Amino acid sequence: MSRSLKQVAVLLVALLCLDPHSRVSSAPICTHGPSGCHVPSLADLFDRVIQHSARMHSLSNDLHSEFEQYFLPSKNSIGKIYRKCHTSSILTPNGKENAQKLAREELTEVILKLLMAWRDPLFQLHQSMAHQQDFNSFSSNKALEMGDMTHELRKGVEKVAEKMRVLGMLGNSVTGLSPAETMLPISDSGEAMSNYELLYCFRRDSNKVQNYLKILKCRIIPEHDC
Amino acid sequence: MMLNSIMYSKWAQYMFIGVSAPGKPKLTSCRSPEKETFTCWWEPGEDGGLPTTYALYYHLENSETVYECPDYKTAGNNSCFFNKNDTSLWVNYNITVVATNALGKNISEPVEVDVAYIVQPNTPENVTAVVVDEDQGPFVRVSWEKPRTADTRSGWITLLYQLRVKQQKDKEWEEYNAGMQKYYNVFSLHPDTEFMVQVRCKPDHGFWSEWTQTTYIKMPDYIPRQRSLWIIITIFSVFIVLILTWTLNVKRNSVKLCLLPPVPGPKIKGFDKQLLKSGKTEEVFNSLVIQGFPPTIDYDDLLVEYLEVYDNEEQELVLDGKDLSEDCIKSKSPSDCDSGRGSCDSRTLLLEKCMVGRKGSGSDQHQYSQHGETSWASTESSECQGLEPGSPESSDGRVKTWPVVFSSPQPHHHYQAETVKPVYHSVPEILNHSSPHIMPTNYHHLHHQDIPQQEGRHGKPACRHSQSYNHFNLDGLNTPAPGVSPSRSLEYVEVQRVNPENMLLLRPLSDPNREPEGSDYAGEDYSKVKEVTSNNILLLRRDTSHHCVDDYSQASQCTTQQPPHPCKPVIYQSNSGMPQEGMRVMGNGYVDSTVLMPSY
Repeated sequence: MSRSLKQVAVLLVALLCLDPHSRVSSAPICTHGPSGCHVPSLADLFDRVIQHSARMHSLSNDLHSEFEQYFLPSKNSIGKIYRKCHTSSILTPNGKENAQKLAREELTEVILKLLMAWRDPLFQLHQSMAHQQDFNSFSSNKALEMGDMTHELRKGVEKVAEKMRVLGMLGNSVTGLSPAETMLPISDSGEAMSNYELLYCFRRDSNKVQNYLKILKCRIIPEHDC
Repeated sequence: MMLNSIMYSKWAQYMFIGVSAPGKPKLTSCRSPEKETFTCWWEPGEDGGLPTTYALYYHLENSETVYECPDYKTAGNNSCFFNKNDTSLWVNYNITVVATNALGKNISEPVEVDVAYIVQPNTPENVTAVVVDEDQGPFVRVSWEKPRTADTRSGWITLLYQLRVKQQKDKEWEEYNAGMQKYYNVFSLHPDTEFMVQVRCKPDHGFWSEWTQTTYIKMPDYIPRQRSLWIIITIFSVFIVLILTWTLNVKRNSVKLCLLPPVPGPKIKGFDKQLLKSGKTEEVFNSLVIQGFPPTIDYDDLLVEYLEVYDNEEQELVLDGKDLSEDCIKSKSPSDCDSGRGSCDSRTLLLEKCMVGRKGSGSDQHQYSQHGETSWASTESSECQGLEPGSPESSDGRVKTWPVVFSSPQPHHHYQAETVKPVYHSVPEILNHSSPHIMPTNYHHLHHQDIPQQEGRHGKPACRHSQSYNHFNLDGLNTPAPGVSPSRSLEYVEVQRVNPENMLLLRPLSDPNREPEGSDYAGEDYSKVKEVTSNNILLLRRDTSHHCVDDYSQASQCTTQQPPHPCKPVIYQSNSGMPQEGMRVMGNGYVDSTVLMPSY
């Protein structure tokens, strides 16, 4: 008796599924703007991107301090890095005035360059951290998250740039980054950078990105939190 | 001389210990208030007794060019101020301080500084606290401004604010985070007190600023609404509690009784505790014995007065046997008083039962005289209740209506109906000529009619009873049967037959001359007792033979016996064995179970 009931139930479910009205179909992404679904404004996009970058920077900060705490007990060690970060070839404004002097497009481009430059090194960092027994899984997870977040942030900034371009705020001088421009984190001496050095450099660069984004935002949308 | 040597030694001391190279200076901190400039402070070491100068040198990372501090003055003593042009973010500064005096110099430990991470803003400005009055109560709104130097407008710095509040007398501050907003509402402050407020800020990555100067604010005197409500509620509840307490106090005793009911002590009538304590148990228990228990009932009292309402002695009752039988069968009602069977089947059939059935059958067949009906009816209910065969105990006096069996000295005849089982009627009032207990009044007497010519059906004239028979006369003749006298004895009467004049011919079952033809009418409801063994075992027989059983021919002995009580069972002697006490074997082989009652 129960068997037949089950069969009946299955049939009913199948019928319901086959019901053309109850079929789930994909709806197109909002193309009509305000009439359809909520299209995030530029301000919203900027907010999201800035939050993202803040999160990214805090992660890098945590990892760096962990490193300093456990692996570099003596701050006086000469072994402190004086190697250049691999992104030092990218010209970045090192002050407020310099940053404000840059045009929006250039600023956006710098941001994108930086983010692009860190895509592979972060992946490597995660890999090396995962392999080493010294790290607990928490740290290596942070590194993984950091890498993902950088990737997402880059996508977000590209969307923002696209939006700005659509809105006419950006000129067309922003060029896409060619794969040739991606840099490998190899120092002058040819050795691969250590994890600590990578973290040190990335911490700095994420701070730069966060700052630049804020400047960009307050320049474009001054009303909001500026 | 002594003095000279002392002075010389002192001078020598001075000469030898005196000056030295300066001690090592130490960079205490470097701070940037707005992420555009920064200042470094150092701590000088021992100066070695000589005027010492300090110089700060720095070089940027990955560069060997050493620069000296551009500004030693702006930030005060032992400080170095880097202005905007000299400040680069996201670059490590390697800073050292060199102390120099005449005898030497000393270099401090190098310090690596990245300006982006040493930001400590100035304190917020223009902290104002205002009391705002609202429905829920007044609160304090604290507002401030950003430090002048911090450029949040361009998004270069993002500041987070914090404020703290306390009363003058409190030790601990109450801290609140205000986020990025520049105002804050403080609730739940005590009325009529002065509060101190301070604010500070911090960049998203950096150090907290100093607290601002204390701002004082006085809360007005007010009664919080919530509190007043609570006050009212409290007063009310106190009131109610007081009332309850007073009520409880007044009704103290009844409350005590309610909550703590007294445990009843054992109270046995006639039980003397003292006696028990004294140890004389026999006396104690003797007192418990109640005289007169179990109650012995005079069996006579159980009997009902037979038809005392009947004032005319000469009423005759004539029953139509046929109708009677039909009605009897019909009157098997669920409200039958008999326990087991319908009254028609029972040997203890009451006439009233048939009466009930008969009444419905039509008035044209009214066969009872008026008196008879009523009298029958009156006793009906009383007899009804009492006629539980085998249930001797009855509660009320109605039980006393034991079936009173007619007995008559006149011969009777069998009643025969082909399809109907033998119907035994018991009438409360029996006319029993031979009975010594003759009730002088209020009896029915039944007339017999001797119809010898009809007895040929069975063809057993030997069974004819010579003594008495009864019949009920429809016509209500007032002729008392000769020798018919009322009797209080209980006997069962069986309807012998119906004569053509619609008369029931009855004969008492105790008639010894009656032939045991009852075996003809055994029917399926009854089983004949074959014999009774000595140890109280009844052997029943199932076949319905027509012949008389010889064992019961001896029944004649008992007719002369008159039971002392009408209710007493008539015990028959049989040669096969003694029927046990309490068991009454009727003449025709049936066992009357109604007599299975204790004889009181």
